[in-house]
Amino acid sequence: MDTLPFFEWLDTSILADISKAYGGTFAIVQVFHLLSMVVLGGMILTSDLRLLGVVMRDVPVDTVLDNTQPWINRSLVVIILTGIFMSSAVAIKLNYNEFFWAKMASLAFGIFFLYAIKRPLLRGDLSELNAWTPKVLAIASLTVWFTVAASGRWIGFS
Amino acid sequence: MLNELLLSFAEWLDTHAWSTNLHESYYMYNWVEGTHVLTLMVFLGMLAVIDLRMLGLAFKDVPASTIAHRLDTPMMIGFVVMVVTGFLLFYAIPVRSTNSIWFRIKVVLLIAAGINALLFRNKMKGAVNSWDTDPLPPKRIRVGAGLSLTLWAGEVATGRIIAYDWYDCHQQMSSFMYWAAGCVNELAALEQAGG
Repeated sequence: MDTLPFFEWLDTSILADISKAYGGTFAIVQVFHLLSMVVLGGMILTSDLRLLGVVMRDVPVDTVLDNTQPWINRSLVVIILTGIFMSSAVAIKLNYNEFFWAKMASLAFGIFFLYAIKRPLLRGDLSELNAWTPKVLAIASLTVWFTVAASGRWIGFS
Repeated sequence: MLNELLLSFAEWLDTHAWSTNLHESYYMYNWVEGTHVLTLMVFLGMLAVIDLRMLGLAFKDVPASTIAHRLDTPMMIGFVVMVVTGFLLFYAIPVRSTNSIWFRIKVVLLIAAGINALLFRNKMKGAVNSWDTDPLPPKRIRVGAGLSLTLWAGEVATGRIIAYDWYDCHQQMSSFMYWAAGCVNELAALEQAGG
């Protein structure tokens, strides 16, 4: 699939005009991208470390998942919106950047994994699940989101 | 005087071969910086969970002290990694960092956040048997948590903006900005030209 036309369009969009004309805007949006990464990472870590039995063992798993999920949803929205804006500043370059595509693939999988696999599996009665299922889900989740963040950081280095 | 001392110290660090090697090593420098940024999620992520509880915005059905105590260890592990990698990043680029207005603001914010955290810990001690299970903690606790989040957000913002050269010493700036950024030589040249 040729993705270049999309990035060429993004490169000429109003978002690109704003991000290129005002460097300060790009930097501020980048800071919000990072801050929402902090919230997302913190909530994912808290829920996955609870599933692994590392932290908050005296708090029910349901309680931890229910409290972290709204913040995961909110931070994901901010991450995606700020990410689109940041992409517009270097649109053509990103089309040829391997780490950008690694990040997009892992982000898409992370969202699919979270909403289509992890949440539905953990929504029911946990005692009916194999004892290892929550732990395997937590390790898979940590691995996927670490890949998203690490490949995202490496876009700047490549 | 302080600016001259800081610059001399940075220039001395800059003469170290390890400093140059770390700066010039593509993988080592980027791994250290990548670790510094990713560990934000461990340290600040855990802190955000605790502060959101103290603001009454998350985990309202769990005692505040439970959240604070259970997440303290991973948060402190993250903090230690951030401090170590932060020092290495400074060591790799000592002169430019010392002369960065953003780095200087970051250090001031770090000290302020540290003082706020110490005060916050003392306030937390009184939590058990009083407001521990309240969904919305008392106002003084919420103010402390809000201040904590604001200071650390400022820490992240200034840390990220260090990369931009808007106020680097090679830019044309006012004498106040040269002084604030510690641009000793540029400030002397400006004063000489003015005088």
